[in-house]
Amino acid sequence: MLPYFSKLGSKMKIRCFDQKMFCTSAFSPLQLPSRMETHLWYVLPNEVKSQSLLSQYVDLLSPHEKDHVFSMRGDELQKSALLARALVRTTISRYQIHSHVSPTSLVFRKNAHGKPEVIWEESDDWHPPPLHFNLSHTSSLIACGVTVGSPIGIDVEEKQRTMKNRILSFAKRYFSREEVEVLSAISDAEVQRHEFIKLWTLKEAYVKALGIGFSGAPFNTFTIRFRAANSRPEDSTIAIVPLEKPTNLTTNWQFAQVELAGTHYAAICRQNDGFPGGESMKVIVRKTIPLVEENRIDSVDDLS
Amino acid sequence: MASVAGSFMASLSSHKPNQTLTRASNLNAVSLAISGKSFPSLKLSSAPSRFRVSCAATPETVDKVCHIVRKQLAVPEGTAVTGESKFATLGADSLDTVEIVMGLEEEFGISVEEESAQTIATVQDAADLIEKLVSKK
Repeated sequence: MLPYFSKLGSKMKIRCFDQKMFCTSAFSPLQLPSRMETHLWYVLPNEVKSQSLLSQYVDLLSPHEKDHVFSMRGDELQKSALLARALVRTTISRYQIHSHVSPTSLVFRKNAHGKPEVIWEESDDWHPPPLHFNLSHTSSLIACGVTVGSPIGIDVEEKQRTMKNRILSFAKRYFSREEVEVLSAISDAEVQRHEFIKLWTLKEAYVKALGIGFSGAPFNTFTIRFRAANSRPEDSTIAIVPLEKPTNLTTNWQFAQVELAGTHYAAICRQNDGFPGGESMKVIVRKTIPLVEENRIDSVDDLS
Repeated sequence: MASVAGSFMASLSSHKPNQTLTRASNLNAVSLAISGKSFPSLKLSSAPSRFRVSCAATPETVDKVCHIVRKQLAVPEGTAVTGESKFATLGADSLDTVEIVMGLEEEFGISVEEESAQTIATVQDAADLIEKLVSKK
């Protein structure tokens, strides 16, 4: 049983997005994701060097956001915080939902548990689409996921990220027993580290999608289980298995795992609205420099 | 280049409208910032001061916490880490945060519940919580 899980775990289909497809105009209207799609946008801080561009990004921000950006301790952290806000504002505006929606006009707030959301300017004539977004970043990549009609959580981590604590000690402390068993069964330390990081991103994406905070869904109260749809490992799906009864953890969620820029693992979690047989999530990836360019990235199936 | 970003971000910070950031050690400084850059599922961010314990941590404890935080976040030499330092503004993401908590648990022989961990905003908060947990042992 256990070696089977670990085989599934390491063979979970992870899609690599690292080839440019084509560049689209930054200004032509873009369709919102359909209810079966997820859009994933990302920016690489290393590619944003222009002083005037960074200054334009500052001008997009609210006063509170500016305070936050400049409270970060260090220039790279400030730049990263700035890019994150610029990314989310320009990305949502990119869909050109309404003429009064622009990067500067968007107003954000946090829900009761701290999850950011948009406050839309509604009127008698206009009701906003049920757009959801979620941000995640590392020092070298910032990503924003967008869905319509479903909450979304995303998490990105550098593939090369090393842990200060021993992986199995950390997993025993924070993950479920079944997950520890899966990780323990991996004999190659480097493979184990990669699988640990991927598992972290999946758990984190789920908790962020739920939007009830870390203490609302502690990591050791649910297992991420890879489940075979058929005999092909690449068709396996991911199930949430709550470990406590009763539980406030819902399970009607689907996941996608993607590899970005050859350097990062990303996990996406969104609701699974009755798609039969666990169809895989359609993910459209775009790499962007806000206000400047965007490139749709094609996926190359990677069955490793 | 870090130096380009450095001089530029420094010049950009003059854009910010609120020039004075009040930071007093015993006052829970009202944070106007929306920590909305990302939403780590474990967020060490502004906590109401009613959770602050009455026994303040010893300087030794604060120093140990600073050391663990500095190591985990690879804080550059020139950046100060003190009791007032906020984890979020030092660049801790959710995985860093959990690693730091685990490091503190191992260093001090304590166990930190998720609810408590979520109330920690600064190094001082962490040190105070440690003292409280250690004294209960």
